[in-house]
Amino acid sequence: MRWPKLGLVLSLLCLLSVLTLHASEIDYVGDVKPIFAQHCVKCHNTKTQESGLRLDLGGGALRGGDGGPVVVAGDAAKSRLLAIIKGADDDVGVMPPEGEPLSSDEIARIEAWVAGGAKVPQEEMRLDVESDHWAFQKPTRHTLPNTKHSTSAQNAIDHFVRARLDSDSIAPSAEADRATLIRRMSLDLLGIPPTMAQVEAFVNDARPDAYERVVDQLLSSPAYGERWGRHWLDLARYADSNGFTRDFGREIWKYREWVIAAVNSGMPFDQFTIEQFAGDMLPEPTLDQLVATGFHRNTLINEEGGTDQEQFRVDAVADRVATTGVVYLGLTLGCARCHQHKFDPISQREYYQIFAFLNNCDEPNVDTPSPWEIEQGVVDRRDGIRDQIQGKEDALAAKAEEFTKRQLEWEPTIEPEFYRTLPGPTQAALGKAIDQRDDIEKKLIVELFKTTDVAREAFPLVKEIADLRAIEPAIPTSMILRRRQEPRETRIHRRGNFLDQGGRVEPLVPSVLHPLRSRTRKSSESGLETSATATRLDFARWLVDADNPLTPRVIMNRYWQRFFGRGIVETENDFGIQGIRPTHPQLLDWLAVEFVDSGWNVKAMHRLIVTSATYRQASHHRSELAEVDSFNKLLARQSRVRLDAEIIRDNALAVGGLLSHKIGGPSVHPPQPEGIYLFTQDPKPWNTDTSEDRYRRGMYTYFWRSSPYPSLIAFDAPDSNVTCTRRVRSNTPLQSLTLANDIQFIECARALAREVLSHHEQAEASQAKLMFRRCFAREPNDSEQSRLKTLIDAQRKAYEDAPDSATALIGAEKPGTHDVELAAWTAAARVLMNLDEFITRE
Amino acid sequence: MALGSMALGSMMDRGGAFAAEPTADATNPLAAKPPHFAPRAKNVIFLFMAGGPSQLELFDPKPKLQQLEGQVIPESYVENQRFAFLKKDAKLLGTRRKFAQHGESGQTVSECLPHIASISDDIAIVRSMSTDVFNHGPAKFFMNTGFNRFGRPSMGAWITYGIGSEASDLPGFVVLQSGPRGPRGGSPNWGSGFLPTTYQGVPFRGKGAPILNLDNPAGIDAARQGDFIQAVNDFNRLRLADTNDPEIATRIAAYEMAYRMQSSAPELMDITDETQETIDLYGADPAKPSFANNCLLARRLVQRGTRFVQLYHTDWDHHGNPDTELKGTLDKVCTEIDQPAAALVKDLKRLGMLDDTIVVWGGEFGRTPQGEPRDFLGRDHHIEAFSMWLAGGGVKPGVTIGKTDDLGYFPVEDRVHVHDLHATILHLMGLDHLKLTYRFQGRDFRLTDVAGEVIQKLLA
Repeated sequence: MRWPKLGLVLSLLCLLSVLTLHASEIDYVGDVKPIFAQHCVKCHNTKTQESGLRLDLGGGALRGGDGGPVVVAGDAAKSRLLAIIKGADDDVGVMPPEGEPLSSDEIARIEAWVAGGAKVPQEEMRLDVESDHWAFQKPTRHTLPNTKHSTSAQNAIDHFVRARLDSDSIAPSAEADRATLIRRMSLDLLGIPPTMAQVEAFVNDARPDAYERVVDQLLSSPAYGERWGRHWLDLARYADSNGFTRDFGREIWKYREWVIAAVNSGMPFDQFTIEQFAGDMLPEPTLDQLVATGFHRNTLINEEGGTDQEQFRVDAVADRVATTGVVYLGLTLGCARCHQHKFDPISQREYYQIFAFLNNCDEPNVDTPSPWEIEQGVVDRRDGIRDQIQGKEDALAAKAEEFTKRQLEWEPTIEPEFYRTLPGPTQAALGKAIDQRDDIEKKLIVELFKTTDVAREAFPLVKEIADLRAIEPAIPTSMILRRRQEPRETRIHRRGNFLDQGGRVEPLVPSVLHPLRSRTRKSSESGLETSATATRLDFARWLVDADNPLTPRVIMNRYWQRFFGRGIVETENDFGIQGIRPTHPQLLDWLAVEFVDSGWNVKAMHRLIVTSATYRQASHHRSELAEVDSFNKLLARQSRVRLDAEIIRDNALAVGGLLSHKIGGPSVHPPQPEGIYLFTQDPKPWNTDTSEDRYRRGMYTYFWRSSPYPSLIAFDAPDSNVTCTRRVRSNTPLQSLTLANDIQFIECARALAREVLSHHEQAEASQAKLMFRRCFAREPNDSEQSRLKTLIDAQRKAYEDAPDSATALIGAEKPGTHDVELAAWTAAARVLMNLDEFITRE
Repeated sequence: MALGSMALGSMMDRGGAFAAEPTADATNPLAAKPPHFAPRAKNVIFLFMAGGPSQLELFDPKPKLQQLEGQVIPESYVENQRFAFLKKDAKLLGTRRKFAQHGESGQTVSECLPHIASISDDIAIVRSMSTDVFNHGPAKFFMNTGFNRFGRPSMGAWITYGIGSEASDLPGFVVLQSGPRGPRGGSPNWGSGFLPTTYQGVPFRGKGAPILNLDNPAGIDAARQGDFIQAVNDFNRLRLADTNDPEIATRIAAYEMAYRMQSSAPELMDITDETQETIDLYGADPAKPSFANNCLLARRLVQRGTRFVQLYHTDWDHHGNPDTELKGTLDKVCTEIDQPAAALVKDLKRLGMLDDTIVVWGGEFGRTPQGEPRDFLGRDHHIEAFSMWLAGGGVKPGVTIGKTDDLGYFPVEDRVHVHDLHATILHLMGLDHLKLTYRFQGRDFRLTDVAGEVIQKLLA
């Protein structure tokens, strides 16, 4: 008998009901759906899916909830739904928790429906969520609106912006002067200022397309890939260390190189995305495509002793989901990790369905030799040495018993002074008896023992191996994703707790968005594998599917934000219900369509924006707009935008003539103030570079997550722990101290003074003007010119009385004849390099 | 239109709609602002005992644990529990320390902390603290930011964001550190998360210049630095007149503040102007950085209007290795902090500052009733129950709050979660933890996440 234990009366009643209600006679819509509607749907509907269960549609009952299936068709006894409504489930109290309980007849009807195979009509199976929210609708290309200011409009952007201004009877601002324009474009596109020659050429270029020529020249500069690559690295949460408490270094700068190269080569954004999400799954992936998957390896790794590695792996996958949501979809998917999204139509189940796409990779590091390292046989030599080492390791392994014996004799002889110098995990391992140690701990101690004279005397092989290791060439590595051979099962984590796993889910995309079109198909020719379920590669393609209503809007909006200081959607990371509506919805849609139609051509989009009249406006505040548009949302002018942290230093280095133009390579160590590591668990290695690497662009500065380079952080560089879609721009006294006193900026001021004074042929007033123009591209006005003269005169006079100070300021080893002059000009350069305008793109 | 409101507009223009709330002085986002309601306290000094002090050796005696020493902990305690290093079959460990009652209040403190015992009547001991995460880094973030991963604002950032600072020449949130190494996790512990960096903690160094880049560069003396500031501000005023961008006014104010900090910070750090009696009270030594010096500096900072001071002292992570055991190593760290922490409370009290200043003592978690199977006495990380103490600023003096079971494993009375502690501290500062919010990524965030209740029993 299939009946669970029930009261006699109840069973009889039910039996009686079933006798009258034959399974075949039960109709879902007529008999069962009304019961659900009356008792269940209040909490189990599209919006409120308690426990991830929907009962507003029959398909929801068949799909089940976070805890797994609730209906087993044809087997009422195994169907949890029945147990729950009968109050016989161990975990869940009787349902419904409030209100009238189900009658025995109602229970019997549901039971009969299940027993009869739980059939529901097709229309009950459509569990798609619909939403009329603007951002979930596919954008269309609106016709260009008319504007009173159409004659000076440069392109479509201006039509949309000016039509909106017209409606408030606001006139756009005039075009900025050429010196301002070229500095603006250079800083926005390259992150370095224009040279004097470039400024002069542009100011004097009478050709009608002079502006466009500059734009094209800048877009083809390799510095463009650095500038826009760094923007992408903000999103990728790139850093050079693992984060959390120990924060050891990591090697993933090849990924940074890949990003720069991809941006410079004009790689279409869809390909750029697919390679980063699933480069490893492309047919016969190149090394570059593998390196590209470093995008999602920029997550933190906790190396603290006593951590549950699965917990932090799960956190890393969750970070990948959240990052993907914010970066591509402008959705706060992370909110649905623990519960149904509070505002957007994303259920917790759907969160874990996305999670499932990203939960199926191993996380190895690969060798990433440069072509020259392969050609010159470095890799072969390394492999040869590794073979030799392996041979010796095998020989050593044959003596394992003797080795362990010696090790155990040695352990008690460790001196406390030595012990104190050991890392925490090693200490912890030493504290345990050998049979209590896990494999990692055993290895730690074995390796430690091998470094001792005791071991090396007893086992000559140990020394031979160490000697080989010392000459083994180091090949750069990079962190990548690799598809797992054996798929990992993904289950819903109840309340976001990975220790409390519920129902199993398959990789799927949220139903409110466009469907997953491409499946990795079976094809022996293309080399793609058969796949029953959707893969990470499918997911990548879905992100950049032409039907995706979000990605092109979100990406275009973020570009817009970089060029104007604010997005068309101000909440650049939230296009959901709670996000702020676009100021220019038609413009955003137009841009999104244009982006997709251009073949996801990023450079073309940047060109489009910077050639608009809207971009070219002056940034001066207009008093008549202070009340009506104090935030400049309508774009009746450009905005003055403080430079990003890296660019502040790059700009100073460039103005001083010190900037290195070398692209790529490992991270570098420019000078930083003393005492950074007093506040971290472990001091970090920081051997200050003395050669060219001292003056590399800020994006190459080694970034320790627990103790980032101080001047970067002072100017709001992201902490790189989670994705950063917009940097805040604070204005603090610590910034003033950094610019005024940090040695790296003093070096720039010295260099600028030397450079200016090297123009002996010029009169002092011209030299002063030259210094000003190098800093700001524009000419000084009369007040500025005269203040600068007063400053230089006063400093000269002061340093004449204190020649030692002059020598110190210019950083000379011993006094020289020109110290006072150089010091006076260095002091003046230092002033200019501290001005608001110097760190602002106007 | 007044410059003030223009400056605010510009700040939002630059920082986005979520930049600082209106301030009294729009060029200074750290200017003091009114709290939600009349506060009990104006300042916080948080003595962060990094690593997790053992409550069972210091504040929570358990005779029963003593009796059961050596037995395997009953399974009912450890099912569903997770540990950093321990196995489920770990054996119970009684304490080797003696406890006694102190003062009129009769609060129980162990022999490890005689000076803190002497201020028993001024402090409230919470024996029922609990937290959510059991690894150091995440647990420190949790204690500081209410969240176990990087990226949320710390309590000091929230408070200075909420009510600004009274200090005109010093940062509103200062961090000091002592002990063999810095706290695990580093700067995110005092970070501003998604709040503007204006509100992040500023680490002061015990050696050399307390703030990075505080000293003038070589060849620039005070007079030249004066010339420099004057010239920078003159040029900036010219540009302000030309562009009308009020952000430039903020920058001018920032340079003036930086200049003042250059003299006020070294003056602050120079404790030789304190009387010998005061220096001895703390056990400080002007020539040597220490927790004692930092306690004295904390008092000096609060005197100068700094809103939130956090002192980290490492290392309390007593697992039972030669350098991390519950005998000599614990004695050493107790000696380092006991006298200075007690002196801070006594000093604040005699200066009439204790009423306005909350002193908090505690770590990111406590330690297990089970011992660890290592060479020396030690305990693993314990998150269910641990002890902290608070003093001053409207905290009820001379009381013990909360009670743990016979093993000291779970709270059985008045459990105080980290979110509750945060809610209570904010409450004492005149801030409603439900109202102190910041909108980020479409959601209003708060220090207490979605939980937290003010602990009424802690209020005087």
